[in-house]
Amino acid sequence: MAVTSANRALTVLIFFNAFVVGGVLMGFEMLGSRYLFPYFGGGIGTWASLISTVLCALAIGYFAGGAVVDRYHSSRIIATAILVAASYLALVPAAADPVMAKILASMGDGPAAILLASAALLLVPLSLLGTFSPVSVGLLTRSAEESGGVAGLVYGISTVGNVVGTLLTTFMLIPTIGSRSITYLYAVVLALCAGLLFLPLGKKPS
Amino acid sequence: MSFRSLFAGPLIAAAAVAIAATAIVFGSAEAQDTRKLLESRESLYNNIYVYGEGPYVSMTFGFNRTIYTESIFNTLDDRDLPVEYTRYMTASLIYAKNVTSILEIGFGGGRTSFYLHRFLPQVPVTSVELDPVVVELSHKYFGVKDEPNFQVVNRDGRIFLNESKDRYDIILIDAYRGPFVPFHLLTKEFYSIVKDHLAEGGVVAQNVEPSTMLFDSAVKTIHAVFPQLDFYVAGGNVVTIAYDGAPKSADDLDRAARERDSAYSLRYSLHDMLAQRRQVQIDGGKVIDPKAKVLTDDFAPVEALKAIEAHNRKWQ
Repeated sequence: MAVTSANRALTVLIFFNAFVVGGVLMGFEMLGSRYLFPYFGGGIGTWASLISTVLCALAIGYFAGGAVVDRYHSSRIIATAILVAASYLALVPAAADPVMAKILASMGDGPAAILLASAALLLVPLSLLGTFSPVSVGLLTRSAEESGGVAGLVYGISTVGNVVGTLLTTFMLIPTIGSRSITYLYAVVLALCAGLLFLPLGKKPS
Repeated sequence: MSFRSLFAGPLIAAAAVAIAATAIVFGSAEAQDTRKLLESRESLYNNIYVYGEGPYVSMTFGFNRTIYTESIFNTLDDRDLPVEYTRYMTASLIYAKNVTSILEIGFGGGRTSFYLHRFLPQVPVTSVELDPVVVELSHKYFGVKDEPNFQVVNRDGRIFLNESKDRYDIILIDAYRGPFVPFHLLTKEFYSIVKDHLAEGGVVAQNVEPSTMLFDSAVKTIHAVFPQLDFYVAGGNVVTIAYDGAPKSADDLDRAARERDSAYSLRYSLHDMLAQRRQVQIDGGKVIDPKAKVLTDDFAPVEALKAIEAHNRKWQ
């Protein structure tokens, strides 16, 4: 396929972002456990709530991303989503404890309370990050026959990012800098990703 | 240029590494076991195995009995405490100003709390255990009975304290053993909640396994909340006794131990336990690693600390 240097740059940028966003996404799921355990215990119920909330967020993100990509054919749409997710993460360290305490006090520690707490923590930012993959596939696909290849690459790279994010967060970051600092770090990393996607090279010749 | 050629090489390499790693994990051998398996149960939280060996019944949370044994019970004698550190948990009786209520967090087979209930039947003992199947098996195999003044609550320890307004003279903490280290029961915030549930003159006894850096951080964390901290070297474990207020002198403890020994006619003499008492300069760097950090809800890398062995801990 013939690629101009502008959309080759966009391609590389999107793959890079797929990896980093994937990493932050799963890294934040691991961090979710650190926010929830002190209030709701560290059992399998808390993990089930976290995992189902993350998958719910991804489903929402995939549906929403798929719905908007044809209307707004620009990397700015995912840049905006990532930036809003970054802002949400930046609020989490200060807001998490009062919110968790409030949920525990008013609803107890049953499945409904844990699900609500997981949703309060994860649903908004991860749904926004979930829009990344379908929108990216839409932006990179130029013909029907390459759609499968593009989708495979975007999801593959993003999933490798998930793996790296999970392991890096669990084995490197949590033992060294603490959950709140990691959350701020993720917010900064996401904001930088968004900044890159706002660069004008995202314009597709129409 | 195609997308595939750009990424195929690294992806195949990554796949090869993943397959090799899987092979190594599944290649490790399983340990042999000669005891008689009485029952195995999979609960929401644990894989629980109950073994019999002569008159003794033991509970483990995994196949590796050397690290994961939770409790041992002598079926011929329900006042026996075969596991040495559990005896030293009762050293808390020496320190408490009054003994009118006892709370235990982390029940397991229930040996420590049931021993206390047997010798102090007039004192209400409450135990908190996360796993309902553990509670069930403690009744079935470990001689635990529902009796007046003896209560087991099925709850996460921290949630129980968050919800409870009761205060206790003695709080025993033994909620992290084997492979399961719930970080939220090892932080400064947690011990602050524990302190809020102590009656005046109350004490906290905790079982800590001293072979890893988790011990150093746990000690510093407890000390961050409680100014007074005594150590009892108890077999392979260490029992810490923490309390607020002025330090108790050796004479005070000697007298209190004799008084309580005669008041309760305990199987394991409190006065004898004082021989294992150690006092440690927490910040002196000899026993406790000076680099160890206080654990908080924000920073509590319990699994990573547990993976770092601490050699040559010198108890004076």
